[in-house]
Amino acid sequence: MNKIEVKEEIINIENDTEKQIEKVSDSDTKTIYNVGENGWLVVYLYGINTSNVVEINLNGENAKVEFHYNMINYDSNSYQITVNHNCSHTESNIYNHGLNVFDHSLRFDINGIVKKDSKSCICNQENQIINLKDGHSTILPNLLIDNYDVISSHSAFIGKFQEELLFYLMSRGISRKTSYQLLIKGFLLNGGNSNLLKSFMKQIEKV
Amino acid sequence: MIEIKNISVKIKEEDKLVIHDLSLTIKDGEVHAIMGPNGTGKSTLSKAIMGHYKYEVVAGDILMDGESIKKLEVNERAKKGIFLGMQDPTVIDGVTNSELLKNAKQEITGEHINYFDFIKTVDNALKNLEFEEGMVHRHVNKGFSGGEKKKNEILQLKVLKPKFIILDEIDSGLDVDSLRIVCENINQYLKENKDASVLIITHYPRILEYIKLDYVHIMNQGTIKKTGTMELAKEIEKLGYHSINDIRENDSNE
Repeated sequence: MNKIEVKEEIINIENDTEKQIEKVSDSDTKTIYNVGENGWLVVYLYGINTSNVVEINLNGENAKVEFHYNMINYDSNSYQITVNHNCSHTESNIYNHGLNVFDHSLRFDINGIVKKDSKSCICNQENQIINLKDGHSTILPNLLIDNYDVISSHSAFIGKFQEELLFYLMSRGISRKTSYQLLIKGFLLNGGNSNLLKSFMKQIEKV
Repeated sequence: MIEIKNISVKIKEEDKLVIHDLSLTIKDGEVHAIMGPNGTGKSTLSKAIMGHYKYEVVAGDILMDGESIKKLEVNERAKKGIFLGMQDPTVIDGVTNSELLKNAKQEITGEHINYFDFIKTVDNALKNLEFEEGMVHRHVNKGFSGGEKKKNEILQLKVLKPKFIILDEIDSGLDVDSLRIVCENINQYLKENKDASVLIITHYPRILEYIKLDYVHIMNQGTIKKTGTMELAKEIEKLGYHSINDIRENDSNE
């Protein structure tokens, strides 16, 4: 699949400002978020067979970001997110979920960077890719931390839905097909507002 | 009526036989308990009846109302009216209790839900179980305490209205108050559904003080060694499972 056009966007969150962004991406994008002092950014980004690059710069003290990336992959795509903790007392919580539908590749590069003079930061990431078939999926969870006073965690899972989840739902009378639908919806929409995401919901139904 | 006829069950991956030649009949409206020390196959029996993917019934048969369920998918067994209240209920992140209950009810009955009746049933069950209303919008068992997980199993039972209920160590991890609430709700269900039968799997006779029993079975080494009444459970509590090591002939209820 040839991908030529990459939309690039810069979003600035001013000092002492809160912003929540919820959007569906159906083309490749590069987005840079700059968060100022005491700024708070919450993003729900839903990718439909896209490659997305995200850079988040926490530029002021107490700047916070909560980022949810949920994507459905049909071909071969990649996703890269980098969070730069450029100031002390900054916080990032990054959740990345991918559903690899066919036998193609999906790659996540997840980078949390805390600079030497950025003290008392929190830098967390949770990453999962569910392969519905035998796709080749990769997660690179990178934490590059150059300060001792940091709270940080990362997790990465690649695999299929656990049989135990299917067993539990099916033991309540729910068919295998509907159980999968519930699990996929839960995995990709967790915390999001399904009313605002009609095009993404259609993709979930299609899967 | 559920009839377990001479079943042997193995763990698929290990090729290890866990249950040997076990037979048990539970008639409509009866309450049975299976007791036994750790590792005797009690939970395996409950999972084998439900059709768990890790276990395979290699001999014998399981009949529900005269029809074999051995080859049925797990959800088909649930549709027949079998319900397994689990020892450690699974956490399903992203799926709410409400979604689970609605989908399950719809698939079990094969009809679209009458939302008025459904909400009324759920609200009543929540109230009786002393759950806050908002719990139906929480993800299945996520962040639940041990007691809440067990009460959530009973909530599902009350909404889905099964005919044969297996309660696998439903009393483990429950404090005195939660155990009382769980048992009161089971008793209420049995009162309202006279045909419903129950198989309680437990280590301790404490739960049996709250729920009136018809039979107690002692299981050891993958099969039922002895059958009796509540007196047998009391004897076990007093003397321990050692006392049945020199087991007499199985005088099961069959």
